[in-house]
Amino acid sequence: MSQETRLLIVDDDPDFVEGIKSILESAGYLVDAAYNPRTGLEALKTKPYDLLLLDIMMGRGAEGIMVARKLRKDPVLSQIPVLIITGLREQIAFLFPGQPLHPHLLPVDELVEKPVEPKLLLDKVSALLELAAKRKAPK
Amino acid sequence: MEIKPRILIIDDEEIVLDSCSRILEGSGYATRTAADGSVGLRQVAEFQPDLVFVDLKMPGISGFEVLERIRALDPSIVAIVITGYATLASAVEAMQKGAYDFLPKPFTPDEFRLITKRGIEKRELVLETIALRREKELLQENFAAIISHELKSPLSAVQQNLIRLMQELSDRVNEAQMARLERMKSRINDLLEMIHTWLRAISSDIGSIKENFGPTSVADVISKAVENVLPYAVRKDIEVDTLVGEPLDLVHGDEGTLVEAVVNLLGNAIRYSRSGSRVRVSAEQQADRILVAVQDSGIGIDEAELPYIFGSFYRGRAGAGDEAGAGLGLAITRRIVEAHGGTITVTSRLGEGSTFVIALPAQGSDTGTHHTPEAGGPENPQGGRVT
Repeated sequence: MSQETRLLIVDDDPDFVEGIKSILESAGYLVDAAYNPRTGLEALKTKPYDLLLLDIMMGRGAEGIMVARKLRKDPVLSQIPVLIITGLREQIAFLFPGQPLHPHLLPVDELVEKPVEPKLLLDKVSALLELAAKRKAPK
Repeated sequence: MEIKPRILIIDDEEIVLDSCSRILEGSGYATRTAADGSVGLRQVAEFQPDLVFVDLKMPGISGFEVLERIRALDPSIVAIVITGYATLASAVEAMQKGAYDFLPKPFTPDEFRLITKRGIEKRELVLETIALRREKELLQENFAAIISHELKSPLSAVQQNLIRLMQELSDRVNEAQMARLERMKSRINDLLEMIHTWLRAISSDIGSIKENFGPTSVADVISKAVENVLPYAVRKDIEVDTLVGEPLDLVHGDEGTLVEAVVNLLGNAIRYSRSGSRVRVSAEQQADRILVAVQDSGIGIDEAELPYIFGSFYRGRAGAGDEAGAGLGLAITRRIVEAHGGTITVTSRLGEGSTFVIALPAQGSDTGTHHTPEAGGPENPQGGRVT
């Protein structure tokens, strides 16, 4: 099923994107990348994606959270599974001035830490895609 | 100064209020007076004085109570008591309640001017301290953000690509080359871990782990911690003995950070031990406390240095060079232990080794499961009894 599966990475670090993009492509996924939240959101609106890989710390702060919040409000885009890839440890969740960061921003969220082992990344991606497929399938 | 320092005088004697106001006239202060405690407290809230003079003996609300209420309202306001009966006892009591100084009646205009000037200077210092503390906190927060984004992100990107390259090149490089790549990966990993440790130390919310506290088994904490450091111990040829004296009550805590605390102690014990030696971690119950001890026979700590080892950026001197850590492990460990309502102590002799003891309050003895008589069962194969 992965031949037709299209993923979007939104991360402001092109080098990091290179690193995970090639892992995902080697597993047969079609991968696009956006290097800031704005073009990321535009891409989501113009093309259908099966999964979003989202960085949290972008631009002037935790702009990835803003992306996640916008997605949640959109009836169509909120169906896309989101895998958060972040340099922040889940257990730290330390505060950026006035901004608490919690790993579970969306009901479908999963979180992995940077850097991520290829196998773990592919496992999480396929697990999220399977969950989404199940949700869509008529009962 | 553009803003006039504000002074409030609370005294039931009109003549005191009058003469005090007159003494301060033209000295660049904004002065108000109040004839009793309740008016005075209203003025404190409304006028927001920098300095308050309070007569101790007044009808109605007593001077002592006024002092206490001012302190509750804004502890940064400087209060000076006026005592008509200049007994040392009442002045001392007032100062214990937070007064900065006392002024015995009768006083001369010069005495009053001098004590006012000192009181205002004190207030400026207090405000400056508060401002500096706030600035420091802000700096720490921002520092955490900077470390995280500016240092950790590029390293993660390098590591991510390295991991991928190792995968892609696995059939094209020879064993020695692959070993070098592995080594690079592990060095970058060490750096990432160090940055993570820094973040832990400077981010101010180790206290927030309390939200996740639950019944936690110290035996589990220890076995996870040992598992964590075992590869390092094996590499240095150091044996780690575990002695858990069961039954142990559970503790009210967070397993993840407790493991981190014990890992830090074990890591240090291994780091500062000679190869071929032993490190022992033990747990036992003493009344309502669980004691976790980590003992090594390593290089030990100089007695003169003992008071500093739980501070940030302390590093064992003799362990410098390739044995160096970030110097934050013990500081974090202490904060974790204290967040659990526990204490950490150390005894050490130079050249003979160190013993660190974490004491945690045991959870009430109604938890049941850990009171079964068959201690050291299959769940704890390494377990023994501490006698």
